[in-house]
Amino acid sequence: MGNGKFAKEFAKGIILANPVFVLALGLCPTLAISTSIDNALGMTLAVLIVLLGSNIIIALIRNFVPNITRIPIFIVIIATLVTVVNLIFHAYLPATYEALGIFLPLIVVNCIILGRAEAFASKNPVASSIADALGITVGFMLALLMISFIRQVLGTGGLSVFGHDLFTLPGLRDHPIAIFILPYGAFLVIGLLMGLFRRTGVMKNE
Amino acid sequence: MPAKKSSTLKNAFPIILLTIVVTVCVSILTFVDSLTRDKISAQEDEAVKALLSEMFPGMSHFEYQDEIYTIYADGDQIGYAFLAVGNGYGGDINILVGLEDETTIKGITIASQSETPGLGTRIAEPAFTDQFAGLAISDVSLSRDGGQIDAITSSTISSSAVVEAVSQTAMEKVKQLKENQ
Amino acid sequence: MNELFAVFLGMVLINNFILVRFLGLCPFFGVSKQLNSAISMGVAVTFVMAVSSLATWLIRHYILIPLDIEYMNIVIFILVIATLVQIIELFIKKTNLGLYFSFGIYLPLITTNCAVLGITLINTNQDYSLSGSLVAALGGGLGFTLVLAMMSGIREKLEMANTPKSMKGLPIAFITAALLGLAFVGFSGII
Repeated sequence: MGNGKFAKEFAKGIILANPVFVLALGLCPTLAISTSIDNALGMTLAVLIVLLGSNIIIALIRNFVPNITRIPIFIVIIATLVTVVNLIFHAYLPATYEALGIFLPLIVVNCIILGRAEAFASKNPVASSIADALGITVGFMLALLMISFIRQVLGTGGLSVFGHDLFTLPGLRDHPIAIFILPYGAFLVIGLLMGLFRRTGVMKNE
Repeated sequence: MPAKKSSTLKNAFPIILLTIVVTVCVSILTFVDSLTRDKISAQEDEAVKALLSEMFPGMSHFEYQDEIYTIYADGDQIGYAFLAVGNGYGGDINILVGLEDETTIKGITIASQSETPGLGTRIAEPAFTDQFAGLAISDVSLSRDGGQIDAITSSTISSSAVVEAVSQTAMEKVKQLKENQ
Repeated sequence: MNELFAVFLGMVLINNFILVRFLGLCPFFGVSKQLNSAISMGVAVTFVMAVSSLATWLIRHYILIPLDIEYMNIVIFILVIATLVQIIELFIKKTNLGLYFSFGIYLPLITTNCAVLGITLINTNQDYSLSGSLVAALGGGLGFTLVLAMMSGIREKLEMANTPKSMKGLPIAFITAALLGLAFVGFSGII
């Protein structure tokens, strides 16, 4: 496989098939944990490990798996990877583990993971599946970072990443626009961003 | 016969494959669990110890019995601590409460919570928790109810969840301590 | 009894599965275009949530905890849910074809609905009793159905409204959900 194809599979996930803004997949974690950049990065790391692992394994075994047991096998593999990530996060990244809460185990039913397994990795060789996983994860990460940035800055009046205060907005610090950090703000931000992307033609309508 | 045998094998293949996959997965999980288990429990112990020694700076060691931590400084007993669970807006709020003696609060620390970020989470900030230090247990209630604690603006549910959990659990634990003596 | 009622009310109105906990969003935006299908979907999800809560509670307390293999819970729970959904689907198909066509078709989707795995994990995290788990599941399911139905009613009307072209479909649905969520804040003082 040439570099060109690898690059194409990689780039596709970022804009044209952005999992969040275009495909509207993986919405639950996107909305729930996009309250801070820290959480967004933690979630991205977890999704990266699981998606990369499941895409590689499924691309490797795709020729042996009979159709009838395909889904159960995929689910077992994904659930195992998620449990491994859970245990590792619990042991080595306890703060992130706490912050992500049930959305860490819920990666099992994240439509992005099973969706890519079904639609891509079960039909393509390992190399393209790796490119696909990386592209989709970067697309997911960009969407998460964008939403988290807006919510954290407007909702708390400043930006701090892993305990380092990067900047504060003087007026907003004391009177943050709380709705952005509240659950409802997540819906508002993602709806407006999606509309904006369509209006400017960056992403196409469904 | 050979034809039939191979078709039976073919029919059984999915089940065999599934069994193999499950076995492999279970083995991997057992292995990862054995690697991380000690680390996870050590992590939790460390976290408790760190919280306790922050609350009782002179602490040398502590004993844990009947859900009460008894804090010692070189043989002298300097206080008690216990966990209180508040029913917050986003789920349980776990609060570590320290007692100086059987009537006075030493301080509180929010050990874990899942309140609304930026609003309810401010119960964990010193501006709120420091209000508890040195209070008599009977004075632990919100100022709107005639107590000494000012609730966080626009996070009344989270604030009163903490206050209620602290005062109720403190009273229970003091009773328990007196019975034990 | 009082506590169970508080759990129930909290699940339905305050920590609503869709609006506050963000569980079950895929069907929320996918299915909530028509009132009828929204209600059928809601009932199916609630049913599976209740049965799964019951099954996973028993498995957790009689198998996982005694054997000290709680770390397996994610794998086991998702397999239990997938199996239950299959059994329920077969059962309905064999016994009541009308029922099958009204909500059986949503069943396969439910395995990967995070509301179902979500409620089993919430029950585990909160360490609810058996009755508590069931009440939480029913409350969560009812809250899910309620919001799904309200949303579909609004979206049916929105079809007729003059929405800007780039906001049509999903974007305006998100904004609607935000406003609906804000309206639900009013319930937060109840318990």
